Amino acid sequence: MGVTCVSQMPVAEGKSVQQTVELLTRKLEMLGAEKQGTFCVDCETYHTAASTLGSQGWSAMVRSQLTATSTSQVQVILLPQPSQVAGIIGQTGKLMYVMHNSEYPLSCFALFENGPCLIADTNFDVLMVKLKGFFQSAKASKIETRGTRYQYCDFLVKVGTVTMGPSARGISVEVEYGPCVVASDCWSLLLEFLQSFLGSHTPGAPAVFGNRHDAVYGPADTMVQYMELFNKIRKQQQVPVAGIR
Amino acid sequence: MSGVRAVRISIESACEKQVHEVGLDGTETYLPPLSMSQNLARLAQRIDFSQGSGSEEEEAAGTEGDAQEWPGAGSSADQDDEEGVVKFQPSLWPWDSVRNNLRSALTEMCVLYDVLSIVRDKKFMTLDPVSQDALPPKQNPQTLQLISKKKSLAGAAQILLKGAERLTKSVTENQENKLQRDFNSELLRLRQHWKLRKVGDKILGDLSYRSAGSLFPHHGTFEVIKNTDLDLDKKIPEDYCPLDVQIPSDLEGSAYIKVSIQKQAPDIGDLGTVNLFKRPLPKSKPGSPHWQTKLEAAQNVLLCKEIFAQLSREAVQIKSQVPHIVVKNQIISQPFPSLQLSISLCHSSNDKKSQKFATEKQCPEDHLYVLEHNLHLLIREFHKQTLSSIMMPHPASAPFGHKRMRLSGPQAFDKNEINSLQSSEGLLEKIIKQAKHIFLRSRAAATIDSLASRIEDPQIQAHWSNINDVYESSVKVLITSQGYEQICKSIQLQLNIGVEQIRVVHRDGRVITLSYQEQELQDFLLSQMSQHQVHAVQQLAKVMGWQVLSFSNHVGLGPIESIGNASAITVASPSVRNGPESGSKIMVQFPRNQCKDLPKSDVLQDNKWSHLRGPFKEVQWNKMEGRNFVYKMELLMSALSPCLL
Repeated sequence: MGVTCVSQMPVAEGKSVQQTVELLTRKLEMLGAEKQGTFCVDCETYHTAASTLGSQGWSAMVRSQLTATSTSQVQVILLPQPSQVAGIIGQTGKLMYVMHNSEYPLSCFALFENGPCLIADTNFDVLMVKLKGFFQSAKASKIETRGTRYQYCDFLVKVGTVTMGPSARGISVEVEYGPCVVASDCWSLLLEFLQSFLGSHTPGAPAVFGNRHDAVYGPADTMVQYMELFNKIRKQQQVPVAGIR
Repeated sequence: MSGVRAVRISIESACEKQVHEVGLDGTETYLPPLSMSQNLARLAQRIDFSQGSGSEEEEAAGTEGDAQEWPGAGSSADQDDEEGVVKFQPSLWPWDSVRNNLRSALTEMCVLYDVLSIVRDKKFMTLDPVSQDALPPKQNPQTLQLISKKKSLAGAAQILLKGAERLTKSVTENQENKLQRDFNSELLRLRQHWKLRKVGDKILGDLSYRSAGSLFPHHGTFEVIKNTDLDLDKKIPEDYCPLDVQIPSDLEGSAYIKVSIQKQAPDIGDLGTVNLFKRPLPKSKPGSPHWQTKLEAAQNVLLCKEIFAQLSREAVQIKSQVPHIVVKNQIISQPFPSLQLSISLCHSSNDKKSQKFATEKQCPEDHLYVLEHNLHLLIREFHKQTLSSIMMPHPASAPFGHKRMRLSGPQAFDKNEINSLQSSEGLLEKIIKQAKHIFLRSRAAATIDSLASRIEDPQIQAHWSNINDVYESSVKVLITSQGYEQICKSIQLQLNIGVEQIRVVHRDGRVITLSYQEQELQDFLLSQMSQHQVHAVQQLAKVMGWQVLSFSNHVGLGPIESIGNASAITVASPSVRNGPESGSKIMVQFPRNQCKDLPKSDVLQDNKWSHLRGPFKEVQWNKMEGRNFVYKMELLMSALSPCLL
């Protein structure tokens, strides 16, 4: 697991999403990257249902549900945010995102926007089904990105098409620099590499880097970046309709 | 009396000193004799002071009478004196009893003498023999002894017989008890070897390897039943056992895994028809009950089934370059092209029909016992892994597997890390690798041996290492000439035989990798042998003091060799060219004056030029004497070297 930067590539003028993706992949292949299969990152949104039992009752109910299933292994990574506990209990409308990444095939990620990110094994999905009463899936909320995976020496580049339902909404570009795990050490290198094939569309430093630039980078940070990307793309809902011809 | 010759009479006193104690070594400790005062005291105690002097007079009278009778046989001189003294003898003297005994003995003797003298005359007295019973013959005392001994022995025998009777009775009772042995005691013996549990009113046992870590889904339960088909009227058979075990029907009989390597490609129609040779059952320990052998055989069948199931599962799932064929009870794979490895499960039941055939056929020769044994070891290793500390104990909520695999979800392991966790090779791959190695090794050995037997001139020796791996063996190959081992030891090769390749390390440091092709190894060894000859000449030249003019391991001149390269050496005069196929060619140079067909030149007039070296002539090598090439060379060189007197 190395430092990863996830960014969005805007669709080129007068071209469709597909064509832009092809352009990008051709550029990468000319650089000398070799194709190494495909990747997929998906995200489902849930919002916490209004709890009628109150905070204590809810947590007791959740606890009993957890012991009943007891098949999931979890490890919580707490991002240093103040209002995490308050965020979970009682407040309605809080969105929880459950994500999967094919790079970590046996893991499942659950995160809140400014809250903790949970890394669990794939049985977590089954658990979510059991918690239907408390987390309701938002309608038509599944968003995913699929594409090809390229290896270029120490860099792993993934160019994917972001789709929501049947329509393609944008392009995601993920670049991972394997050898380094501290973001601040290799950001300049990453930037240089991104410039080589993204050109003017090179993004700035991700927000995640700013928060913990000396701490060890983890998979949860990648998922946070993806979540931000997906949210941005969701908000851009209207714009691509005009762009696609 | 004085005329009669005196008779010597020996007088001996009774023991002077009384024995106080006899020591352990026989020495006697004497009591010290009584002193005068003590003796006097003793005598004084005897005196009865209560009696008056009358007794003394009586005593005195008694002694007078005795004194008169005293003949005084020992001393005649004192006789007259004694008579006078006799009348007045106040006390007895110690020799009195002696005197009396002697007197009586004398009287007796005199009477006897008189009687004998009268009897001799036979006038007044005759001897009349005393009638006695006839003396019993000499045996009589012995017969008497015999009879008495017999009686005593009969008494002893009676006691012994009584005792023996009692013992035999108790032994027969025991025998009867043994035959009608308790079902419970037999069950106890069974429990010492196998796990049993009671389910309802049935006793079930477990003969599977599940408790040892196996994951095979076979239940492996056997039932223990009471053997009640005992006919009390008939004689109880010797191997009667009140307990019987009923094993599952699919585990009956005996099984083994046959692993063999065949050269020919399989015929499609032949697949699946493996001859089931019934291997003779391994001898059970003498004295082990029949249920033990039965259960052990069933357990072996179960293990063989598990091994075969694991192998066939891997054969189907794992993708390899050449797909494995799984047909009925046989797995066929091709480790090398034109080579076929077949692993089959041979399960033969204990029917009487098959036993007839069993005695005719024996175990096939191409069955590799080593690989079958290794399969058993590998599956047991796999069992142990499931019980090792990285698997057990595991939390109830986690899936069964490696400890780190449980953490792969929560710790977001990527694909590389997951791959490194999972075991890389399955049973089938390991066995195929081992089979490849065994085959390669045996073929390399056969190649070296065939070369050694075919070619005698440079000898080829192989020293195999005793310590081998399942995937690697090594052998040291030396090429020498007989008799010249110390001089020509430049070709020494170390061969490391791996799974698919043979790596050769030469003495001069070169490392060559040969493939599994047998021809490559053979060609290589032939080329080394040819090079050895030339090296040998070089060494020989050094020893014999000849000058080496040129030496080349790979000579570019002359006919092309099909295997390797020819090597050549030129020593001052003989010149050798040796190739692996073309053999050796030796040329000798002669001085000009010995060559007849040299044209005389006008320029070189002087005689001294005729001593220069001239053209080369070939030597007929097959006519040279000597048992090998180096010997022949030595003879040639010694023949050509000038002798300095």
